[in-house]
Amino acid sequence: MNRTALLRAARSWLPFVIAIPFLWLIERKVALNPDLGVEYIFVNVNHIGIAIMLAVSLNLVNGLTGQFSIGHAGFMAIGGYISAVLLMRGPTDDPYRLFFLLAVLAGASAAALAGWLVGKPSLRLRGDYLAIVTLGFGEIIRVIIENTPFFGGAIGLSPIPHRADFAFIYAAVIITILVAKRLRDSTHGRAFLSVREDEVAAEAMGIDTTSVKVRAFVISAFFAGVAGALSGAFEGNLAPQSFTFVRSFEVVAMVVLGGMGSITGATIAATVLTILPEALRSLGEFAYLRMVIYSIALIVLMLVRPRGLLGTRELWDFFRRPRPPRQPGTREASEALIEVRKASITFGGLTAVNEFSLSVKPRELVALIGPNGAGKTTVFNLLTGVYAPTSGSITIMGRDTRGLQPHAIAHLGVARTFQNIRLFRELSAFDNVRIACHHLTRESMAAAVRHGALSEQEEAWIAERSEELLEIMGLSQRRDELAKNLPYGEQRRLEIARALAAGPQVLLLDEPAAGTNTREKVELMELIRSIRDRFGVAIVLIEHDMKLVMGVSERILVLDHGVTIAQGLPREIQSNPKVIEAYLGEKYAKEHFGDVART
Amino acid sequence: MTELLQHIVDGVSLGAIYALIALGYTMVYGVLQLINFAHGDVFMLGAMIGWYLSARWTSEALHPSWLGALGVSLFCMLVCGTTGFLIERFGYRPLRNSPRLNSLITAIGFSLLLEYGGQTVFGPNPRAFGAMPVDPGEHFTLFGVAISYLDLISIGVALLLMVALQLIIFRTRIGTAMRAVSWNPSVAALMGVNVDRVISFTFVLGSVLAAVAAVLYASSYRKVEPLMGLMPGLKAFVAAVLGGIGNVQGAMLGGLLLGLAEHLVSSYVSSSWKDGIAFAILILILLVKPSGLLGKGTAEKV
Repeated sequence: MNRTALLRAARSWLPFVIAIPFLWLIERKVALNPDLGVEYIFVNVNHIGIAIMLAVSLNLVNGLTGQFSIGHAGFMAIGGYISAVLLMRGPTDDPYRLFFLLAVLAGASAAALAGWLVGKPSLRLRGDYLAIVTLGFGEIIRVIIENTPFFGGAIGLSPIPHRADFAFIYAAVIITILVAKRLRDSTHGRAFLSVREDEVAAEAMGIDTTSVKVRAFVISAFFAGVAGALSGAFEGNLAPQSFTFVRSFEVVAMVVLGGMGSITGATIAATVLTILPEALRSLGEFAYLRMVIYSIALIVLMLVRPRGLLGTRELWDFFRRPRPPRQPGTREASEALIEVRKASITFGGLTAVNEFSLSVKPRELVALIGPNGAGKTTVFNLLTGVYAPTSGSITIMGRDTRGLQPHAIAHLGVARTFQNIRLFRELSAFDNVRIACHHLTRESMAAAVRHGALSEQEEAWIAERSEELLEIMGLSQRRDELAKNLPYGEQRRLEIARALAAGPQVLLLDEPAAGTNTREKVELMELIRSIRDRFGVAIVLIEHDMKLVMGVSERILVLDHGVTIAQGLPREIQSNPKVIEAYLGEKYAKEHFGDVART
Repeated sequence: MTELLQHIVDGVSLGAIYALIALGYTMVYGVLQLINFAHGDVFMLGAMIGWYLSARWTSEALHPSWLGALGVSLFCMLVCGTTGFLIERFGYRPLRNSPRLNSLITAIGFSLLLEYGGQTVFGPNPRAFGAMPVDPGEHFTLFGVAISYLDLISIGVALLLMVALQLIIFRTRIGTAMRAVSWNPSVAALMGVNVDRVISFTFVLGSVLAAVAAVLYASSYRKVEPLMGLMPGLKAFVAAVLGGIGNVQGAMLGGLLLGLAEHLVSSYVSSSWKDGIAFAILILILLVKPSGLLGKGTAEKV
């Protein structure tokens, strides 16, 4: 093992090396010291720790990945019951708590397995429907436990050996937070975020959104299981009534209140919402109102800070300074080929694209034009696997794309932009580009967690590549701005940078010049040509403005009502009577293209 | 056979009540795409106010009469309608432009507020409440099936209200506006629809139906307590999803089916599995046809 590897390993384990003796000391000298009378305080401190684990783990799904799960209590219950059953049947003497550790891991693994079983079929549902299914699963788990004598039925399990103490719980808290943080800062974390921001765009950038969601869900369920196991071994009993959807709601409230995706936010909110009802006990004669005050506080906090306590930021982001932009570099060329044969697609009775054929050769610049509703964007959706053709075939890099999902097609080397810009709006320009590099990386999630950050080489490579692309598109100054705050033209350019970051051999640009003025359009066409030259990619361009594409493209296809009415060199298209009539209208054709044809 | 018929009658009467609550969920989801988790507690509030009016503030409960029952119901509708209006006005409207998740948290907040508030004011113990001058046991026999008068009233009232709701939604100006808002709020606003007023109206309408459901439920089950809204609320929500959330006829169908399924399971299997069946149906329907029985699927435009 060389020195850097050793250092990295040390840094990876450092938090535990430092924290565990401290936790142990606090446990021995403070929590267990009868003279201090801090028992009651430590009960609450431990409750907070369990709440933090729940909130931070749910945050992976609800905050980072943007999937709305409200069945967290169910996974907590599984973890709790499995480990409790083991503990109650296990050895009574467990000096180093190794058996306890094993029981916790077993419970957590069972919860993770349940997460996989629940997540696999239901994560294809979106938004509220997913929420409802997770709610349903959470409740079913509870009903099953209530009806299973082995798990103590409606009465619950008791007595469970008290093996979880302050040190053990907080060691688990630290692990939960570290795993969440290291994942979030890795390329996997950015993949989570991209799913939250825009699933369609994420797929187009080569991210397997279903697999990303299932992974986030399983990890989240695992830590909910840990929390459940520790909770049972701390309280000494488990009852199904404490795992109703109300419990899940509490955790959701912590995540939302903390700020979606913010780990420190979730931690703070978990602390506040756990302390609040306890603190309100000190109201004396008004103590009976404490839960009423708690619920009002929840409403008011949400109204006053709708983005959560910390928004999407972390506590330390408030102290961070922006970094200066970098200098540009260069990249090598690559080859590409798309072959579409008589692809058609119908929606109900409407044939949106009829027998469309297209062949794209390396470094070629092809324009796809046609009036509104001609089916141009539909062609892109067919090429990128958003739609499957009703008939005909599409071959990309020699591979039939039938049955391939958008992310798999992106892996083949096709990247696109969208007519109605689909950036990851709440992420920075830099992150938008970095996400597109995700499918080019190899590091596993486990490695990302172990190393603190993703293997530095790969992370550095991603950063370099992304900065370079921002530079080329003239966006270096905007590196750390949120995508949604960029002006319109820059958003379009950022989409191109993002598409290029996915390492395409064919770049599909859907009306990149839409909404820009004439001068900007001319500049953009120059830029497109230079991208082609510099990256050696083939480009298929959708554009309304016929004059513009005449100058830049080598070949033009004209679509009208889904039918390819003409194709050929720009000059041929200009003088094609069919095109002039169908696309430009007779009058316009006479006024303008009479002249063009003469010159 | 008679036994099965008996269970069907009982199941339908429970289902009718679920359907009334489900309408509130589905209408609000239709206009706001919000799961109004406080709705079950508005239902609870209706039952509680009914108890206060008939047993605490007056002696109506000792000598129930039809007129009194009507008065109690109207008062419950008034209180619930107002509550629904206030919850929307102060809990959801300020968050109209925030992510929908936020409104969900305030919904949970209001739900907890009503529950804890109920426990504080009302106390945690259940109380008996019956506004109507018939006992749950009174019945007549038809083809060997015992049909209680209360079941008959529940089904009749629910049917009547559902027809009325259909008329409101499809035959009136405000109903047209509701449909417009559920289709596209910003376009509806551009067409001159006062979106805020339509949303308020929707909440009031849903809450009023919940109040009626509460009076019927409490009369049949003779029990009022601060947490009584939790399970019926959740079940009604499941019913709304089952029928296709956002779809009014779907909520009615879903409610009836759920009531039926639940009653059959608790009669033929075990009453402790009746909660499970509701959620099992829910998950099954969502995995097979996520838009619900009568809902239409939507695809995202790229």
